[in-house]
Amino acid sequence: MYKMTLKAALISTALLGTAVQAQETVEWWDFLGGGDGVRMKTLIDQFNTEHAGSITINATTLDWGVPFYTKVQTSAAVGEGPDVMTYHASRIPLAVSQGTLSPITAEDMAAMGLTAESFAPATWDAVNVDGVQYAVPFDTHPIVLYYNKEMLDAVGLIGADGLPQNLNGIDNFNAALQALKDNGAEWGIAQVTADGGFAFRTIYSMLCQQGGDIGTDGAWFPGDSSAKLANAVGLIASWVENGYNPSYTDYPSTVALFTSGASPFMINGVWEVPTMTDLHAKGELFEWGAIELPVWFDKPCTYADSHSFAIPENAGKPMTPEKRAAVDTVIGWMLQNSLFWATAGHIPANEAVAQSAEYKAMQPQATYATLTANMVFDPKSVNAGVASPLFDAAGNAFTAAMNGEVDAPTAVQEMLDALNALQ
Amino acid sequence: MAFRRQELTAALVFVAPFLLVYGWMFIWPTIQMVRLSFTNAPLIGAGDWVGFANYTKMWGDRVFHNAIWNTGYFVLLTVIPGTAIALLIALMVARLRGWLQSMVLAFFFLPFILPVTVVYVIWDWLTNVQFGILQAVIEPIMGRSINVWRTLPWFMPGVAIITIWWTNGFSILLFLAGLRNIPRDLYEAAALDGATNWQMFTRITWPLIWPITVLCLTIQLILQLKIFDQVYLFAQGGRTQTTMVMVQYIYESAFVKNQGGYAAAAAVMLFVFVAVISVLQFQLLRARGQR
Repeated sequence: MYKMTLKAALISTALLGTAVQAQETVEWWDFLGGGDGVRMKTLIDQFNTEHAGSITINATTLDWGVPFYTKVQTSAAVGEGPDVMTYHASRIPLAVSQGTLSPITAEDMAAMGLTAESFAPATWDAVNVDGVQYAVPFDTHPIVLYYNKEMLDAVGLIGADGLPQNLNGIDNFNAALQALKDNGAEWGIAQVTADGGFAFRTIYSMLCQQGGDIGTDGAWFPGDSSAKLANAVGLIASWVENGYNPSYTDYPSTVALFTSGASPFMINGVWEVPTMTDLHAKGELFEWGAIELPVWFDKPCTYADSHSFAIPENAGKPMTPEKRAAVDTVIGWMLQNSLFWATAGHIPANEAVAQSAEYKAMQPQATYATLTANMVFDPKSVNAGVASPLFDAAGNAFTAAMNGEVDAPTAVQEMLDALNALQ
Repeated sequence: MAFRRQELTAALVFVAPFLLVYGWMFIWPTIQMVRLSFTNAPLIGAGDWVGFANYTKMWGDRVFHNAIWNTGYFVLLTVIPGTAIALLIALMVARLRGWLQSMVLAFFFLPFILPVTVVYVIWDWLTNVQFGILQAVIEPIMGRSINVWRTLPWFMPGVAIITIWWTNGFSILLFLAGLRNIPRDLYEAAALDGATNWQMFTRITWPLIWPITVLCLTIQLILQLKIFDQVYLFAQGGRTQTTMVMVQYIYESAFVKNQGGYAAAAAVMLFVFVAVISVLQFQLLRARGQR
């Protein structure tokens, strides 16, 4: 009797063993803590339900920015990194220089059902370093111009198509701000002015609109880019000086100024779209929208970054082919199902999704999605990207300049000196 | 003699676990850090030997000078003023009795249990340039609302005030314990001799509370030399190079700029500073004790 029980126990253990082997657990790290984090969890749950018995994603959310990337570098260096993680395209050059990322091969892409043509050229370029692909773009997240439709309509700034009009060109735009203020708005526009690092997204867009460029180490502001950068900073400084934009105002305050109706415009990332959608659904927000940044200078251009998926190169722990296949399945599935991710405001990187009828019906996402033709990403330098020395240098130089404490050309020179000092 | 050797062996056996852990987790990494400071290593991995290049570069770096100056300024703003305020509050709280004393003490101690991030969020909103309640005080005085964390002359004093508010509860508690240890009859005898309140404070309370004062000053000095979190949080996105403090400089070099060797050199410098200041302070307080 005893022997039989033992035998049965052994057999069931063996069976359990095979069942466990067929099941792959994919360790997943992301830095999505806000409203988009909730949406990502929904996607992960859906994936786990659909792949019950074969693949399970075990997700961990870590702190955005420097803490996340430091943890990834250090853990990959000792073989303790995850199997897949979210990664800002702008941070890839640094990761490549540290050997943190495993290149995405043609076989991986085939397994995911994707090709280079699945993405907008600028987005695709952002995940490639020296001709090698290091990540799969999941979305594009630019900054946009949010507007209060009711306040704009009152001064005739809403065209027949229901979208804002007469905003291109500095004179036109400033006239619009003045008209809005004359009509009772407390401010014309809410752009973050307490954080030059955050404002760098707007400044970089304005630089690109003049055909200016940020280079890489050694030649940071090529040609007359220094002067163009000063023009960009000067434009925001003039808004502050003329009372259109509040001075020394931080991120949460700009959102509060916009949603409370104190400012009819706000420049911010698309990731604030869910905030507006949710408030509007509760009946606590006016009619609103979001559009591509106006052409203040010569041509349309907007700063963007991309949340992408990357596979870490865990030192001393090569991935098994089975695990790699599971990771490919995860990434491929996420890219196919990124329509839901678009509700977080981000533009799906997968063109098949971005061109779908469902996405085109999504507002205001579909309106600003056209800007993907005019995007500029961070320069490919180990010192660039979100929460990088480049952003830090911008914070130091431009915070004072936007608020009129230093003049713009001095600030640009200060930033250049700081960048040149980075070895 | 045999007994002595036996005693020695026993002593060794008892301290061995401590020595091993101390050597492994403190001495060894410290030696490694000093070695690293002479290389150009990134945050992860090895680098090449560069001699004193990191140190000479650091001495020429304006931001490093800012970091030393700001750290010193912050210590000046917090250590002695903070301890003095704690003593004053403790003297007042000591006059209360029963549940009232417990409640007032709890009010003063409450901020101490808050994590630094919570302290940051509370004060960031209090001082918010658009909606902050404290702007109602700042505006009438200055004529306009001011972003305290983006106005250079306001920055360090602002952080100092918040730090005193945040960490003072602990010093108050220490002082209160010290005050309770002073025998009542000393005051009674002094009162019979016709001593004034001021005389009682300078002749009885102050000398008897001195050891506690030394303790508070020492704890505060060590704590405030390591200032990082508050400055990092309040300055982020702003002029971080101008408001830089020592630990933040190490953090930035290592984790933002990916320069492990350089960060190690900065850490060695901080280590030297703390050692020198501690010895100086020890000498100073010893001299005072011998008087």
